Amino acid sequence: MGIPDYAGDHQWSQQHLSHYVEGDLRPRARRRLDRHALGCADCGRGIRAMRALVYAVPGVDGHAGVSAPAAIFDRARLAGAGGPAAPPAP
Amino acid sequence: MTPEPTEAELLVRARSGDIAAFEQLSGAYADRLFMLLLRLLGDPDEAMDVAQEVMLRAWLGITRFQGRSSYFTWLYRIAVNEANRALDRRSRRPAGVSIGARELELPASPAQDPSRAAESSELRQALREALMQLPPELRTAIVLRDAEELSTEEAAEIAGVGQAAFKSRLHQARLRIRAAIGDDALVTAGG
Repeated sequence: MGIPDYAGDHQWSQQHLSHYVEGDLRPRARRRLDRHALGCADCGRGIRAMRALVYAVPGVDGHAGVSAPAAIFDRARLAGAGGPAAPPAP
Repeated sequence: MTPEPTEAELLVRARSGDIAAFEQLSGAYADRLFMLLLRLLGDPDEAMDVAQEVMLRAWLGITRFQGRSSYFTWLYRIAVNEANRALDRRSRRPAGVSIGARELELPASPAQDPSRAAESSELRQALREALMQLPPELRTAIVLRDAEELSTEEAAEIAGVGQAAFKSRLHQARLRIRAAIGDDALVTAGG
Protein backbone atom coordinates (compact mmCIF):
# COMPACT_ATOMS: atom_id res chain seq x y z
CA MET A 1 0.00 0.00 0.00
CA GLY A 2 1.36 3.40 -0.93
CA ILE A 3 1.13 6.42 1.30
CA PRO A 4 -2.18 8.21 0.67
CA ASP A 5 -1.63 11.36 -1.37
CA TYR A 6 -3.90 13.81 0.44
CA ALA A 7 -3.34 16.77 -1.89
CA GLY A 8 -3.79 14.66 -5.00
CA ASP A 9 -6.90 12.97 -3.62
CA HIS A 10 -8.34 16.30 -2.54
CA GLN A 11 -7.97 17.93 -5.92
CA TRP A 12 -9.34 14.86 -7.66
CA SER A 13 -12.27 14.59 -5.23
CA GLN A 14 -13.22 18.23 -5.66
CA GLN A 15 -13.39 17.71 -9.42
CA HIS A 16 -15.53 14.58 -9.13
CA LEU A 17 -18.23 15.54 -6.65
CA SER A 18 -20.84 15.77 -9.40
CA HIS A 19 -19.81 12.36 -10.75
CA TYR A 20 -20.12 11.05 -7.20
CA VAL A 21 -23.68 12.26 -6.60
CA GLU A 22 -24.67 11.20 -10.12
CA GLY A 23 -23.43 7.67 -9.45
CA ASP A 24 -20.97 7.91 -12.33
CA LEU A 25 -17.86 6.74 -10.47
CA ARG A 26 -16.63 3.18 -10.76
CA PRO A 27 -16.53 1.32 -7.42
CA ARG A 28 -12.79 1.86 -6.94
CA ALA A 29 -13.05 5.59 -7.65
CA ARG A 30 -16.07 5.86 -5.38
CA ARG A 31 -14.17 4.20 -2.56
CA ARG A 32 -11.28 6.62 -3.14
CA LEU A 33 -13.59 9.60 -2.76
CA ASP A 34 -15.42 8.05 0.21
CA ARG A 35 -12.12 7.38 1.99
CA HIS A 36 -10.86 10.88 1.34
CA ALA A 37 -14.13 12.60 2.35
CA LEU A 38 -14.13 10.78 5.70
CA GLY A 39 -11.08 12.78 6.73
CA CYS A 40 -11.70 15.94 4.75
CA ALA A 41 -14.31 18.40 5.98
CA ASP A 42 -14.16 20.38 2.72
CA CYS A 43 -15.02 17.40 0.57
CA GLY A 44 -17.66 16.15 3.00
CA ARG A 45 -19.31 19.58 2.79
CA GLY A 46 -18.79 19.55 -0.98
CA ILE A 47 -20.80 16.33 -1.29
CA ARG A 48 -23.64 17.82 0.76
CA ALA A 49 -23.49 21.01 -1.29
CA MET A 50 -23.61 19.13 -4.59
CA ARG A 51 -26.60 17.10 -3.41
CA ALA A 52 -28.33 20.30 -2.27
CA LEU A 53 -27.64 21.88 -5.65
CA VAL A 54 -29.15 18.98 -7.59
CA TYR A 55 -32.14 19.00 -5.23
CA ALA A 56 -32.67 22.76 -5.56
CA VAL A 57 -32.44 23.18 -9.34
CA PRO A 58 -36.01 22.02 -10.14
CA GLY A 59 -37.44 24.71 -7.85
CA VAL A 60 -35.48 27.60 -9.30
CA ASP A 61 -38.32 29.06 -11.29
CA GLY A 62 -41.39 27.23 -10.16
CA HIS A 63 -41.44 23.71 -11.53
CA ALA A 64 -45.18 23.34 -11.19
CA GLY A 65 -48.13 25.49 -12.03
CA VAL A 66 -46.82 27.32 -15.07
CA SER A 67 -49.07 26.84 -18.08
CA ALA A 68 -48.20 27.56 -21.67
CA PRO A 69 -50.20 30.53 -22.96
CA ALA A 70 -52.97 29.62 -25.39
CA ALA A 71 -51.23 31.67 -28.07
CA ILE A 72 -48.48 29.07 -28.30
CA PHE A 73 -50.11 27.66 -31.48
CA ASP A 74 -50.85 31.02 -33.13
CA ARG A 75 -48.06 30.90 -35.71
CA ALA A 76 -48.72 27.28 -36.56
CA ARG A 77 -52.42 28.12 -37.05
CA LEU A 78 -51.51 31.00 -39.34
CA ALA A 79 -49.41 28.67 -41.42
CA GLY A 80 -51.98 25.91 -41.04
CA ALA A 81 -53.89 26.63 -44.22
CA GLY A 82 -51.00 25.35 -46.27
CA GLY A 83 -50.59 22.26 -44.13
CA PRO A 84 -47.29 20.77 -43.15
CA ALA A 85 -44.59 20.38 -45.75
CA ALA A 86 -45.15 17.43 -48.04
CA PRO A 87 -43.28 14.29 -47.01
CA PRO A 88 -40.28 13.34 -49.08
CA ALA A 89 -41.04 10.99 -51.94
CA PRO A 90 -40.48 7.35 -50.98
CA MET B 1 -68.15 7.38 -25.49
CA THR B 2 -65.41 7.86 -28.08
CA PRO B 3 -62.02 6.87 -26.71
CA GLU B 4 -59.27 9.47 -26.73
CA PRO B 5 -57.08 9.12 -29.83
CA THR B 6 -53.65 7.71 -29.19
CA GLU B 7 -50.48 9.67 -29.92
CA ALA B 8 -49.85 7.48 -32.97
CA GLU B 9 -53.32 8.24 -34.33
CA LEU B 10 -52.89 11.96 -33.74
CA LEU B 11 -49.54 11.82 -35.46
CA VAL B 12 -51.02 10.21 -38.57
CA ARG B 13 -53.77 12.84 -38.70
CA ALA B 14 -51.32 15.70 -38.09
CA ARG B 15 -49.01 14.45 -40.84
CA SER B 16 -51.94 14.52 -43.24
CA GLY B 17 -52.55 18.20 -42.47
CA ASP B 18 -54.99 18.12 -39.54
CA ILE B 19 -53.86 21.04 -37.38
CA ALA B 20 -56.38 20.24 -34.65
CA ALA B 21 -54.72 16.84 -34.28
CA PHE B 22 -51.32 18.54 -34.23
CA GLU B 23 -52.49 20.88 -31.46
CA GLN B 24 -53.85 17.97 -29.44
CA LEU B 25 -50.65 15.99 -29.95
CA SER B 26 -48.29 18.84 -29.12
CA GLY B 27 -50.58 20.42 -26.54
CA ALA B 28 -49.92 17.48 -24.25
CA TYR B 29 -46.34 18.74 -23.94
CA ALA B 30 -46.97 22.49 -24.23
CA ASP B 31 -46.71 23.31 -20.52
CA ARG B 32 -43.47 21.36 -20.08
CA LEU B 33 -42.05 22.82 -23.24
CA PHE B 34 -42.88 26.37 -22.15
CA MET B 35 -41.30 25.68 -18.75
CA LEU B 36 -38.16 24.36 -20.45
CA LEU B 37 -37.91 27.55 -22.50
CA LEU B 38 -38.41 29.68 -19.41
CA ARG B 39 -35.54 27.86 -17.77
CA LEU B 40 -33.27 28.14 -20.77
CA LEU B 41 -34.09 31.76 -21.59
CA GLY B 42 -35.11 33.29 -18.27
CA ASP B 43 -37.62 35.64 -19.82
CA PRO B 44 -41.36 34.87 -20.25
CA ASP B 45 -41.83 37.07 -23.32
CA GLU B 46 -38.87 35.55 -25.12
CA ALA B 47 -39.94 32.06 -24.02
CA MET B 48 -43.39 32.70 -25.53
CA ASP B 49 -41.88 33.95 -28.78
CA VAL B 50 -39.62 30.93 -29.06
CA ALA B 51 -42.43 28.53 -28.04
CA GLN B 52 -44.56 29.81 -30.93
CA GLU B 53 -41.61 29.32 -33.27
CA VAL B 54 -41.09 25.78 -31.96
CA MET B 55 -44.72 24.88 -32.65
CA LEU B 56 -44.54 26.45 -36.09
CA ARG B 57 -41.39 24.49 -36.98
CA ALA B 58 -42.84 21.29 -35.56
CA TRP B 59 -46.04 21.77 -37.60
CA LEU B 60 -44.17 22.54 -40.81
CA GLY B 61 -41.73 19.70 -40.26
CA ILE B 62 -44.01 17.02 -38.87
CA THR B 63 -43.96 15.02 -42.09
CA ARG B 64 -40.21 14.65 -41.61
CA PHE B 65 -40.62 13.18 -38.13
CA GLN B 66 -39.56 9.59 -38.65
CA GLY B 67 -40.48 8.19 -35.26
CA ARG B 68 -36.91 7.16 -34.46
CA SER B 69 -37.28 9.00 -31.17
CA SER B 70 -40.43 9.77 -29.21
CA TYR B 71 -42.48 12.74 -30.36
CA PHE B 72 -41.67 14.43 -27.04
CA THR B 73 -37.92 14.06 -27.63
CA TRP B 74 -38.27 15.41 -31.17
CA LEU B 75 -40.28 18.41 -29.97
CA TYR B 76 -37.85 19.12 -27.12
CA ARG B 77 -34.93 18.95 -29.52
CA ILE B 78 -36.53 21.61 -31.70
CA ALA B 79 -37.08 23.68 -28.55
CA VAL B 80 -33.43 23.41 -27.44
CA ASN B 81 -32.23 24.36 -30.92
CA GLU B 82 -34.58 27.33 -31.09
CA ALA B 83 -33.60 28.45 -27.58
CA ASN B 84 -29.93 28.32 -28.58
CA ARG B 85 -30.69 30.38 -31.68
CA ALA B 86 -32.50 32.93 -29.50
CA LEU B 87 -29.55 33.05 -27.08
CA ASP B 88 -27.21 33.52 -30.01
CA ARG B 89 -29.33 36.42 -31.29
CA ARG B 90 -29.36 37.87 -27.78
CA SER B 91 -25.57 37.72 -27.54
CA ARG B 92 -25.33 39.74 -30.77
CA ARG B 93 -27.53 42.53 -29.49
CA PRO B 94 -25.75 45.74 -28.60
CA ALA B 95 -25.12 46.17 -24.88
CA GLY B 96 -27.83 48.06 -23.08
CA VAL B 97 -30.80 46.47 -24.77
CA SER B 98 -30.45 43.02 -23.30
CA ILE B 99 -33.54 41.29 -22.08
CA GLY B 100 -34.04 41.52 -18.36
CA ALA B 101 -35.01 38.30 -16.63
CA ARG B 102 -38.35 38.62 -14.94
CA GLU B 103 -38.94 36.91 -11.67
CA LEU B 104 -41.01 33.78 -11.50
CA GLU B 105 -40.96 33.38 -7.77
CA LEU B 106 -42.37 30.33 -6.12
CA PRO B 107 -44.71 31.18 -3.29
CA ALA B 108 -43.12 30.30 0.02
CA SER B 109 -44.83 27.43 1.75
CA PRO B 110 -46.68 28.64 4.86
CA ALA B 111 -45.35 25.61 6.68
CA GLN B 112 -41.82 26.87 6.17
CA ASP B 113 -39.94 28.67 8.84
CA PRO B 114 -39.69 32.36 7.69
CA SER B 115 -35.91 32.51 7.98
CA ARG B 116 -35.64 29.22 6.14
CA ALA B 117 -37.99 30.51 3.44
CA ALA B 118 -35.78 33.57 3.03
CA GLU B 119 -32.69 31.42 2.73
CA SER B 120 -34.47 29.24 0.23
CA SER B 121 -35.61 32.28 -1.74
CA GLU B 122 -32.06 33.66 -1.74
CA LEU B 123 -30.76 30.32 -2.95
CA ARG B 124 -33.30 30.26 -5.79
CA GLN B 125 -32.26 33.75 -6.83
CA ALA B 126 -28.56 32.83 -6.66
CA LEU B 127 -29.20 29.64 -8.62
CA ARG B 128 -31.20 31.50 -11.25
CA GLU B 129 -28.38 34.01 -11.72
CA ALA B 130 -25.73 31.29 -11.81
CA LEU B 131 -27.72 29.31 -14.40
CA MET B 132 -28.06 32.37 -16.61
CA GLN B 133 -24.30 32.93 -16.45
CA LEU B 134 -23.56 29.47 -17.88
CA PRO B 135 -22.76 29.03 -21.56
CA PRO B 136 -25.87 27.76 -23.37
CA GLU B 137 -24.62 24.18 -23.83
CA LEU B 138 -23.87 23.82 -20.10
CA ARG B 139 -27.18 25.44 -19.12
CA THR B 140 -29.04 23.10 -21.44
CA ALA B 141 -27.35 20.09 -19.84
CA ILE B 142 -28.22 21.00 -16.25
CA VAL B 143 -31.75 22.10 -17.14
CA LEU B 144 -32.54 18.89 -19.01
CA ARG B 145 -31.02 16.57 -16.41
CA ASP B 146 -31.57 18.29 -13.05
CA ALA B 147 -34.56 20.56 -13.68
CA GLU B 148 -36.49 18.48 -16.21
CA GLU B 149 -35.23 15.30 -14.55
CA LEU B 150 -34.83 13.49 -17.86
CA SER B 151 -32.65 10.41 -18.15
CA THR B 152 -29.12 10.96 -19.40
CA GLU B 153 -29.96 9.03 -22.57
CA GLU B 154 -33.00 11.18 -23.38
CA ALA B 155 -31.34 14.44 -22.35
CA ALA B 156 -28.28 13.70 -24.47
CA GLU B 157 -30.46 12.93 -27.46
CA ILE B 158 -32.36 16.19 -27.04
CA ALA B 159 -29.10 18.13 -26.63
CA GLY B 160 -27.82 16.46 -29.79
CA VAL B 161 -24.65 14.99 -28.28
CA GLY B 162 -23.45 11.60 -27.12
CA GLN B 163 -23.98 10.54 -23.53
CA ALA B 164 -20.32 10.97 -22.55
CA ALA B 165 -20.22 14.52 -23.90
CA PHE B 166 -23.51 15.28 -22.22
CA LYS B 167 -22.24 14.02 -18.85
CA SER B 168 -19.13 16.12 -19.23
CA ARG B 169 -21.27 19.22 -19.79
CA LEU B 170 -23.50 18.36 -16.86
CA HIS B 171 -20.58 17.95 -14.46
CA GLN B 172 -18.97 21.17 -15.67
CA ALA B 173 -22.25 23.02 -15.20
CA ARG B 174 -22.69 21.76 -11.65
CA LEU B 175 -19.10 22.58 -10.72
CA ARG B 176 -19.47 26.12 -12.05
CA ILE B 177 -22.73 26.69 -10.21
CA ARG B 178 -21.29 25.26 -7.02
CA ALA B 179 -18.31 27.60 -7.35
CA ALA B 180 -20.58 30.59 -8.02
CA ILE B 181 -22.87 29.98 -5.05
CA GLY B 182 -20.52 28.44 -2.53
CA ASP B 183 -20.82 25.31 -0.45
CA ASP B 184 -21.95 27.09 2.71
CA ALA B 185 -24.93 28.73 1.02
CA LEU B 186 -25.95 25.47 -0.65
CA VAL B 187 -25.59 23.37 2.50
CA THR B 188 -27.35 25.93 4.73
CA ALA B 189 -30.31 26.42 2.40
CA GLY B 190 -30.46 22.77 1.48
CA GLY B 191 -30.60 21.78 5.11
